[in-house]
Amino acid sequence: MHNLIAGISQASQSTSAPPVSIDDASLWHRMSDALHQSLYRVLTLLIAVLPGILAFFVALTIFILCGMLLSWLLRRCLSWIKFDARLARPGGDGWTPASSPTEIVARASFWACVVLGLIIGVSAFDVSYATGTALPISLLPYVTHAVGAMFLLIAGILIARFLARSVLISAVNAQLQYARFLSLGVKWLVLVLTAAMVLDHLEVGGKIVELAFGILFGGIVLTLALAVGLGSRDLVSRSLESHVERTGEREHVAHSASSSSEQIRHF
Amino acid sequence: MTTENSTSAVTSTIDQTTADLLVMGAAIPPERLDAVLTNVAEAFPVESVVIAAQDQPGANVPANLRIIAAPQSSAAWMLTAADFVHACEIGREQQVRAILMLGPGTDSLKPHAMREVARAALSGSIDLAIPLYTLPPHAGLINSAILYPLTRALFATRARFPLTIDLGLSMRMAERLASVGRRFAAANQVDALLWPVNEATVAGFAVDEVEVGTRDVPQPSDPDINTILASVTGSLFADIEAKAAFWQRPRRLPPARREMAEAAPADGTADVPRMVEAFRLANSNLQEIWSLVLPPNSLLALKRISVLDAEVFRMPENLWARIIFDFVIAYRLRTINRGHLLGALIPLYLAWVASHLNVTASGTSSELHIEAVAEAFEADKPYLVARWRWPDRFNS
Repeated sequence: MHNLIAGISQASQSTSAPPVSIDDASLWHRMSDALHQSLYRVLTLLIAVLPGILAFFVALTIFILCGMLLSWLLRRCLSWIKFDARLARPGGDGWTPASSPTEIVARASFWACVVLGLIIGVSAFDVSYATGTALPISLLPYVTHAVGAMFLLIAGILIARFLARSVLISAVNAQLQYARFLSLGVKWLVLVLTAAMVLDHLEVGGKIVELAFGILFGGIVLTLALAVGLGSRDLVSRSLESHVERTGEREHVAHSASSSSEQIRHF
Repeated sequence: MTTENSTSAVTSTIDQTTADLLVMGAAIPPERLDAVLTNVAEAFPVESVVIAAQDQPGANVPANLRIIAAPQSSAAWMLTAADFVHACEIGREQQVRAILMLGPGTDSLKPHAMREVARAALSGSIDLAIPLYTLPPHAGLINSAILYPLTRALFATRARFPLTIDLGLSMRMAERLASVGRRFAAANQVDALLWPVNEATVAGFAVDEVEVGTRDVPQPSDPDINTILASVTGSLFADIEAKAAFWQRPRRLPPARREMAEAAPADGTADVPRMVEAFRLANSNLQEIWSLVLPPNSLLALKRISVLDAEVFRMPENLWARIIFDFVIAYRLRTINRGHLLGALIPLYLAWVASHLNVTASGTSSELHIEAVAEAFEADKPYLVARWRWPDRFNS
């Protein structure tokens, strides 16, 4: 480095006409000072933030342990009082989650503790960071938004999958030929809605996202409406025709329906 | 019309405080009550009988009957948990020896049928007397496809109608069912279905089947197959899950005591193409869901039968048994949402019905085919027990 600076100064001496006296040692000293000051500032910032980081991890660890303990206790207590059996709804109708109610309560309590630990840790870090440095805090709110957006995304994906399956099974049991298409349409509707909400939450894109979402959502709905409408054109016309004919042949239809139901009885 | 929930006597033609038998009819319409009372009077000419009815009968009550008011029942289709609780309470109050519970549509039950069921319950050696109905061909198909074979394979009982409409109960059996009913009531599930045969088997009580001839089987208010199958099958799957510790132990099936009735062959194949088409549609659309529940060899077998013509469509008995067992496992493991799971079973059930209709149309007795299905379930029970204990995730 020293040689390089010496070389540069020699070159400048040879090219420039008026001889300027530059003190090599002074230049190096200034650079060294600048580097030292920069290093000092970064180290000071790190030292100021370190307790906050430490507090974050300590809070998180403590709350994870608390969550595990609470979850274990709840699992034992709920099993002891036969919570699942009390809550069980024979027939499986209505909303039946993929896990047992005891498991859901235990997991929810654990994750509630983890989230609480995260909040406390982040706030401790926030306080430490704000008092330890004069730099503006611009990253933390964004991190909070990102966590919220992540939850939105997970919820959206789960809801999209649930609705897609519900529509698929119902449509297949109703013997609709376009069951899969309908299910995919519902799934993408929810996913597009979720994506728009996530981007809005992250404050990314602004008006562009709103506009794009409106166009995309409207496009999907229009496509579905056209597809179902065109695909079911014959079905609708047959239905209307039979409705007109039914007024004159009501008795005949009733008789044939009853004779059919007499042949096969599921129960 | 009496609607209050008290059990005090409203009409008394015989001055008695105790009786041998309590007859409890669920939700008998007022216009049919007199006909039911006449049948009961004819069935029990000498026994001391108390009838718990929700409505006040007309003026011509048979002289040998004592009528008391029963709490209002919500049983429009099947006896519910609340009916068993009420029956037990009234039976204890009246100090009866046995209870005859009659489901909706009782007026179609012959007097001799009531007598036989009640006699079995009063004998002292039988705790649960269940009727064996003679149904029209192609009736009670959910029972034949799922309820009967599954109950027989797991609980080692030959009860042909596990979800029976009428019952004869000893007092200890009534107490047992009432305690289960109270559990449901505590969870605000008074309309839950109970499985008396399973309860009796688990308790080690004696169960007997009595031939009663024909009866009008009450149909649910919502005749939609989706609702019926989800309600009944889901209830049985939940009961199987609750009694897992019992049925995992090997048990010997009692020998058959009744002759199989040779029913006249019936042609119900008109609906077969529609059912096969529904199955094919599901086979091409529900692979994503079925693959979470069924192992690859079952999926392959389903793919093979999906290309068969409707006239020759058959679902092998062992494949059907394996499918039901896999759905029971998935219900227990909550592999997917239970509502979705039971919804995904419907096209498979329709495929079985189509196959059954083709088999019976080809000249094979309906009962013979149902017995073959039940034997396939028994033979494949070790698979269910193994997967129940070690539920390997074949699809992950």
